[in-house]
Amino acid sequence: MPDLLSNLGLGFAVALSLQNVMLCFLGCLVGTLIGVLPGVGPIATIAMLLPITFGLDPVGALIMLAGIYYGAQYGGSTTAILVNIPGEATSVVTTLDGHQMARQGRAGIALGTAAIASFFAGTVATLLIAALGAPLTRLALIFGPAEYFALMVMGLAFAVVLAHGSVLKAVAMILVGVLFACIGTDLETGEERMTFGFTFLTDGVDFSVLAMGLFGVAEILRNLDNTETREIARARIGRLLPGLADLRQATPATLRGTAIGALLGILPGNGAVLGPFAAYTVEKRIARDPSRFGRGAIEGVAGPESANNAGAQTAFIPLLTLGIPPNAVMALMVGAMTIHGIVPGPGVMTKSPELFWGMIASMWVGNLMLLVINLPLVGVWVRLLKVPYRLMFPAILMFCSIGIYSINSLPTDVMLIAAFGVFGYVLIKFGFEPAPLLLGFVLGKLMEEYLRRALTLSRGDAMVFLERPVSAVLFLVAFTILALALLPSLRKSRDEVFTEA
Amino acid sequence: MRTALAISLLSVLAAFGAAADTYPQRPITMVVPFAAGGPTDVIARIVAEPMSRVLGQQVVIENVTGAGGTTGITRASQASPDGYTIMMGHMGTHGAAPALFKGLKYDPAKSFDPIGLAAGTPIVIVAKKGMAAPDLKSFVEAVKAGGASINQAHAGVGSVSHSTGVLFDSLIGAKPTLVVYRGTGPALNDLMAGQVDFMTDQIVNVAPQISGGTIKAYAIATPERSPSLPDVPTTKEAGLPDYQVSAWNAVFAPKGLPADVRAKLVAALDTAIKDPNARKRILDLGGTVPKDAEAGPDALQKLVESEVARWTPVLRSAVEANP
Amino acid sequence: MSDPSGGAGPGNAVSWVSQNVVAGLGLILLGVFGVWATGDLPRGTLGAMGPGMLPHWVAVCVAVCGFALAVTGFVRGGEGLQSFGLRGPVVVVLAILAFAVTIRPVSFGPVTTPGLGLIVAGPLAVILGGYASPEARFRELLILALLLTAGCMLLFGDLLNLPIPIFPTALIEAASGKIPSRVMLRLAVGALALIGLGLLLLQRRSSRRAGTDVARHSMTA
Repeated sequence: MPDLLSNLGLGFAVALSLQNVMLCFLGCLVGTLIGVLPGVGPIATIAMLLPITFGLDPVGALIMLAGIYYGAQYGGSTTAILVNIPGEATSVVTTLDGHQMARQGRAGIALGTAAIASFFAGTVATLLIAALGAPLTRLALIFGPAEYFALMVMGLAFAVVLAHGSVLKAVAMILVGVLFACIGTDLETGEERMTFGFTFLTDGVDFSVLAMGLFGVAEILRNLDNTETREIARARIGRLLPGLADLRQATPATLRGTAIGALLGILPGNGAVLGPFAAYTVEKRIARDPSRFGRGAIEGVAGPESANNAGAQTAFIPLLTLGIPPNAVMALMVGAMTIHGIVPGPGVMTKSPELFWGMIASMWVGNLMLLVINLPLVGVWVRLLKVPYRLMFPAILMFCSIGIYSINSLPTDVMLIAAFGVFGYVLIKFGFEPAPLLLGFVLGKLMEEYLRRALTLSRGDAMVFLERPVSAVLFLVAFTILALALLPSLRKSRDEVFTEA
Repeated sequence: MRTALAISLLSVLAAFGAAADTYPQRPITMVVPFAAGGPTDVIARIVAEPMSRVLGQQVVIENVTGAGGTTGITRASQASPDGYTIMMGHMGTHGAAPALFKGLKYDPAKSFDPIGLAAGTPIVIVAKKGMAAPDLKSFVEAVKAGGASINQAHAGVGSVSHSTGVLFDSLIGAKPTLVVYRGTGPALNDLMAGQVDFMTDQIVNVAPQISGGTIKAYAIATPERSPSLPDVPTTKEAGLPDYQVSAWNAVFAPKGLPADVRAKLVAALDTAIKDPNARKRILDLGGTVPKDAEAGPDALQKLVESEVARWTPVLRSAVEANP
Repeated sequence: MSDPSGGAGPGNAVSWVSQNVVAGLGLILLGVFGVWATGDLPRGTLGAMGPGMLPHWVAVCVAVCGFALAVTGFVRGGEGLQSFGLRGPVVVVLAILAFAVTIRPVSFGPVTTPGLGLIVAGPLAVILGGYASPEARFRELLILALLLTAGCMLLFGDLLNLPIPIFPTALIEAASGKIPSRVMLRLAVGALALIGLGLLLLQRRSSRRAGTDVARHSMTA
């Protein structure tokens, strides 16, 4: 314990120097401003802003970069709430209730709740990293391919619960998502799958391209159809910040979300991506009235957002202690560190403690900055909704195009968002929800990899999933969730048809 | 009509262009065919900085990713050879690619004007901590004897760990089971956890884990030991002298560069790799800086030719053997 | 899935055929397509799964889901088809395509589009896209396009120094050596912003309401 305090003391001494506080602030601010552009997710934001940190000393550069990371992450949630465009996989869930809240004139409350829940989760996760970072690493090594496969299956079960309409349609969407994930060069054999000879498909479909099409462009097309709904959203702005009653409602969800997100974030196999989904599923399952979800439930924002931020934070654990980047954003951070001559890994903590603890302390400072920057900005963002839609959507189109182009410098990516936009529009018209598709896409890719790897290692013995205790438990959870989701809907489906008609 | 207009416009512009005689007049784009933050990108950014100083114009990095780096290289190879588009190629794009990509739209040895080698990152043979063999010789025996019961990890077809890994297997005549990962990170994780037995990868990816004692290193595939891992013997010392391999990065330009432009680029790169700061940064990463005999366009051309000749048979048979 | 125009004409919903039946048929088509598209890939065995294994079975499951959906829709009825807008999708797709082919040179076989850069592609996307809404007004969109493009050029080109093409390639070559690229970029941003603001002033004088809307937006862009 005294060790922890002295370490944190060292960390804060580094992080709270005037220069580093300024860098952290600047990073958060720029990260938020770029990340909030529709079409520019955290990965694109960090890739864009990476070069501006090159001129700084390593500690300052990493602190600024961490600031950019949090800013970009929060900026992504802001676009998810305001214009229904998730910047990355983890903010898909935020669109479900966050954007509904915005439509009901509660955008300010949604944004405020997201900021406060994120701050809380960030604080807890920072403490967790400082106190338990090293021992938690062992957990990461328990998870082999079989466990990850089970985890992904569980994630897909969550995706079914996520949908608020027909379960059958949700399952179909997940499968379509998995099918889309198969497009591109096969990792193991290098063979091209469903690319139809197009070079631009050899690397598969980028997540942001699919998300931008299914959410961004399809949403625009849908809004162009029904003029009434969006005018209502414009007319009412409502409170700018969450009130006490809102916070009271959001608090339990925030606590649960933080725990779930922090735990999943530790897994180096991209476990953090499941955090928001899991948190949302839990909230919906234990809610007294699950039908509120998908219609602007504040817990549906607080839970996933806190899980998202907690996971974003604890994802640093495998990076700092094992030297393994658990996701694309962390891979970028590794690149940034190596550019500054620091190779992340178990040695960093002992070799340069001021850097290690300075960065951990700056995580908390970054979260604080985020709150300081974003609470006042909420008013600005909310006012954006007042812009007439006939001007708003061309601007979104342009930002989406620029954002997508800047990720890979490929015009074909821009063309693909148009195609997926039309596809998403057709889906909406037939009563399908795009969120399960996107989830199936993200998890499907990982799932196939882990499945094949697990079976290669077990030499084709499928029992491996049930023989290993952790994976068996995860499968059990997945099937329980599925059964719970399916049974009532089978029973109720008759009534549902009547209520829907 | 429009083309006629465009042509006349272009000819006017060309006249202007001829008037401005000293290259470079505007920023130069260096296409990096991999994502920002990867080893090739890091090397590119390290050399781009001193190159910009020498040329008096900024060298801007453009990351064009896709298809094992061949998307970016294809695009850059089709740019006009005016010296304003150059690229950072590497072992994969200019060595292994012809064997792996059937419809490759460039020829590594013929479609480019080589500028020079920028840096190399040595390959290390690493294994899980619990691997019993005390040295490389007994490890090689163990891998040969184990056959398909040994699990070898790599980071995807076309990755450095894949190419260098199958080269290792064919050299020692072993047939381990290949376990594929998306990128080095997850592969290393499973190596640390003991799920897989061994892999070969670039020093920059594995050095921290080796010094941290979470994985075991048997040898480094360079003629000399690396200052970042002074305790790891070279393959020559350890008894496998034929396994000499390094993931190299080199600057290329599209074919047909004017001689003076080419000379300027070669000189700029030469200054860049001799720049003490850039050198230090490359060495800190565990990389190697080209020696005098390896630097320059002629040595690079030879390197490309020998690499294509080396990888093609190894990779072709590996890809065909693996169902 | 199915062709947007093939569903039903804009206007009233067709009630005799339920949404789920058509959606189910669409999924079946998609599944069959998937099975066909992965048909030539080796499926392998459990121990060594081939590239075709997972996509094949997923496609089959998609088709099965589609069948189930179509059957439930047929038996139980359900919501009718919704009307499809045609103007929105067509114009928006055109706007995005316009951006994609003008931002940098793109080759379609023998034809290569000229790379015109953000300064052309941006306004093109905004103005063209704006016409997806029947409420589009040209002058308003022009102002928006000019100001947004100026803002983006400043942000992405100057401040962030992204390698996104700003000017037509021909122009860059012509200006090479005469004007430093930074200066050219700032001059262009200034010019765009000035024209945009000038038009905005004119507009505001003629109609106050539309003017304030644009002003708010440009402020945040």
